[in-house]
Amino acid sequence: MNFEVEYTPEQEAFRKEVQSFLKVNVPAGLVTTAAVEAITHEQYLMQRELGRKLGGKGWLFPTYPKEYGGGGLNLDQTIILEEEMDQYGLSLPPYYNSGGNLGAPSILVWGTDGQKRQFLPPIFKGEVRVWQLLTEPGAGSDLASVKTTALRDGDDYVLSGQKIFVGSNHEVDWLWTLAVTDPNAPRHENLSWFMLDASLPGITIQPLDLLTAGGEGGAGSGVKNSVFFDDVRAPASALVGGENNGWKVATTHLELEHGGGGHIGRNRLWERLLHYCMTHELDGRPMTKDQDIRDLLMDIYIDIEIGRLFGVRNYFLTHAKKARSYEGPQSSMWRKSGNLRIAGFIQKILGYLALTTDPAHVVEEGHIELHQRSAIVGLHPGGTVEVQKLIMARRIGIGRTVREEAGRLA
Amino acid sequence: MDLSLNEQQELLKRTVADFMVHECPKTVLLELDRHETGAPPELWNRIAALGWVGMLIPQQYGGGGNSLTDTAVVYEELGKGPLPGPYFSSGVLGALTVLEAGSEEQKRQILPNVARGSQILSVAAQEPARKWGPGMVQLTATPQNGTLTLNGTKLFIHDAVAATHLVVAVRTQASQNPAQGISLVVVDKSLPGVSARTLPGFLGWVCEVKFENVRVPASAVLGQAGNGWPAFARAMEKAIPILCSYQVGGCEAVFDMSVEYSRTRIQFAQPIGRFQRVQDHIIHLTNHMDAARWTTYEALWKLDSDRPAASSVHLAKAVSSEGYYQACNYAHEVHAGIGISREYGLTLHTKMSRTLYQCLGDPLYHKRRMADALDL
Ligand SMILES: Cc1cc2nc3c(=O)[nH]c(=O)nc-3n(C[C@H](O)[C@H](O)[C@H](O)COP(=O)(O)OP(=O)(O)OC[C@H]3O[C@@H](n4cnc5c(N)ncnc54)[C@H](O)[C@@H]3O)c2cc1C
Repeated sequence: MNFEVEYTPEQEAFRKEVQSFLKVNVPAGLVTTAAVEAITHEQYLMQRELGRKLGGKGWLFPTYPKEYGGGGLNLDQTIILEEEMDQYGLSLPPYYNSGGNLGAPSILVWGTDGQKRQFLPPIFKGEVRVWQLLTEPGAGSDLASVKTTALRDGDDYVLSGQKIFVGSNHEVDWLWTLAVTDPNAPRHENLSWFMLDASLPGITIQPLDLLTAGGEGGAGSGVKNSVFFDDVRAPASALVGGENNGWKVATTHLELEHGGGGHIGRNRLWERLLHYCMTHELDGRPMTKDQDIRDLLMDIYIDIEIGRLFGVRNYFLTHAKKARSYEGPQSSMWRKSGNLRIAGFIQKILGYLALTTDPAHVVEEGHIELHQRSAIVGLHPGGTVEVQKLIMARRIGIGRTVREEAGRLA
Repeated sequence: MDLSLNEQQELLKRTVADFMVHECPKTVLLELDRHETGAPPELWNRIAALGWVGMLIPQQYGGGGNSLTDTAVVYEELGKGPLPGPYFSSGVLGALTVLEAGSEEQKRQILPNVARGSQILSVAAQEPARKWGPGMVQLTATPQNGTLTLNGTKLFIHDAVAATHLVVAVRTQASQNPAQGISLVVVDKSLPGVSARTLPGFLGWVCEVKFENVRVPASAVLGQAGNGWPAFARAMEKAIPILCSYQVGGCEAVFDMSVEYSRTRIQFAQPIGRFQRVQDHIIHLTNHMDAARWTTYEALWKLDSDRPAASSVHLAKAVSSEGYYQACNYAHEVHAGIGISREYGLTLHTKMSRTLYQCLGDPLYHKRRMADALDL
């Protein structure tokens, strides 16, 4: 066993190449801010510009096949890329692109050759940004009960309905969604999966006022919306994975969203918290020397380390193509409930300071206050804690001899 | 034994609940959330005129002369909103501090105005980079020719922007025992050199107050100089269970929201309340609510019947602060997406629960003090 990522001389050379590329191409004005909802359009355009440059080298979606514009790189190279991006506080892609991250692997598994050639290169090259539109006012955890319809009319499908808690701010190029194509078919056999051009007539995007929709790495969505479809006409070629086969397509991206893909990288929240406690005093001595604070910091550390190892394990399982079962939802559940526990520990350490964004008193540029809110908000996207538990139970085989299998990844 | 409210208390409870339903529905609460003090003058004056600000002030000083339990009945209903504004800061903590520390003349001068709502008090004790407790009071007040000059910063002061007068804890003598040598000075907020601003973030109506060469007459010191902390501690002992009852009201509101939602939200063709995991959230929430309620009620009873109450008061504050905080977390789990939408109203409580968790000492502080009170 070896937990350390070891780099060969070729890989170290690759790191150098990545470093000098980022040095030239990460614009000086590109900031990672806690106030993601306030990211200016100019900032957003800089993020996209960097995305296109990375995409041009195959580094935006490094592990995906070269023939569709991916990087065709291996696990170690990907780790290097993510580590180097992380040095700038950026993730891959450096903007919110849930529809690309989760949509591309779904198309890779379920799309026709033509669809792969049509949809994948623009995503991998960073030419388009994509949102996923699943949730509806009446269909959250019970995603299969979506009511949006997509009815066949000649060579087109006509979509009507409403989605909620989706997307981000600034522009979007493509949207994908699940809609009912056969209103008379049984549950799970009535849905289809569509990749839509966001500029189609009849699509309206309306921002929501939420506690926050922010997150780490410059890729927090910042804003969530309601999206309305009023008789939106999409060509039949927008349907991916076969008519009424949408639920199967969804298993792929749901698996990824449930944490199956894994995660590596440093924990910036921990670094920030530690930095603050080491450089500030309470009652005349460094906060890290206060016994109460030390205890609380170690509670946080334990939570974070367990979460990190779950993420590393999943990353390994995914990229080494090993069998997975309950590990995805386990990691997701740990991250969600762990973040809420950690928010509690942080308020115990910092008190009111954990809560304010006042320029004179703010801790770590607002990232700590944001975490207090995002720890609550983050309980819900991609399946609530309860839903993660439900999936774990099925896959462990609690009370049943036939275990449910993990969703198919590329 | 009789754990029920008396008839007058029941009547009072219904009156306040009615007021909240009609005068402070969710649309109003959402507006108040964006208001600088949480209490536009019109609303503040109406509530003061109803006598709910001056309840604890004895009748000879123009108040209602009510018991703590009577007062808690009102604050529990206000907490259900949650109704923001300096009601507690001025009518409870401020008034009790003046009552405990002030001379007869000071009480006669200040309290009728507080009861009427024409003066609004906020007690300014906490300072930057200090743990809660008397040791945090470092702000200096230099005596000179019958005046005191205040210089320094008070931080995390509730409702200081709303206040017309601040009761400022200052250190007038250095002392081995940090609880000695503290004086309480009443400062008119319109004096030159006083500035207060509300801190933005995931907290409500908590302020920074700065004093730059603020000169007040020596007569602004409440009671005897140097003896401020013990008086403030007596005031806190009575005020804290009222704050707890506000937190209890908050728990009840998020409990009601969650139970209602569990009945009406349908997923997988059934009300989500049928799922045991959702039931678990609401059951934990219920336990937090009832723990807060009964620790608070017992502390109130002990104080109203002149029994030793210190450990009960610390118990109530530790349990209610944690209870309201956790109740909001559980309510968020029950509601998922809709609960984080600001217009739904749950986040008003979440923010309030975080804010009050810190107010007058966090649970860790009160657990320590409880151990002391139990002579451990
Ligand atoms: C910040 C944020 C970003 C989001 N981004 C997107 C996005 O980009 N695209 C998108 O499509 N959606 C998005 N969502 C929506 C998200 O996927 C849903 O909020 C989530 O799936 C839960 O659905 P719901 O909010 O309708 O809650 P509900 O499903 O109504 O859940 C209410 C409660 O019932 C419980 N419950 C439901 N079913 C069961 C069950 N079978 N067993 C036990 N308990 C159950 C839930 O756990 C919860 O406690 C986002 C949400 C948020 C908050």
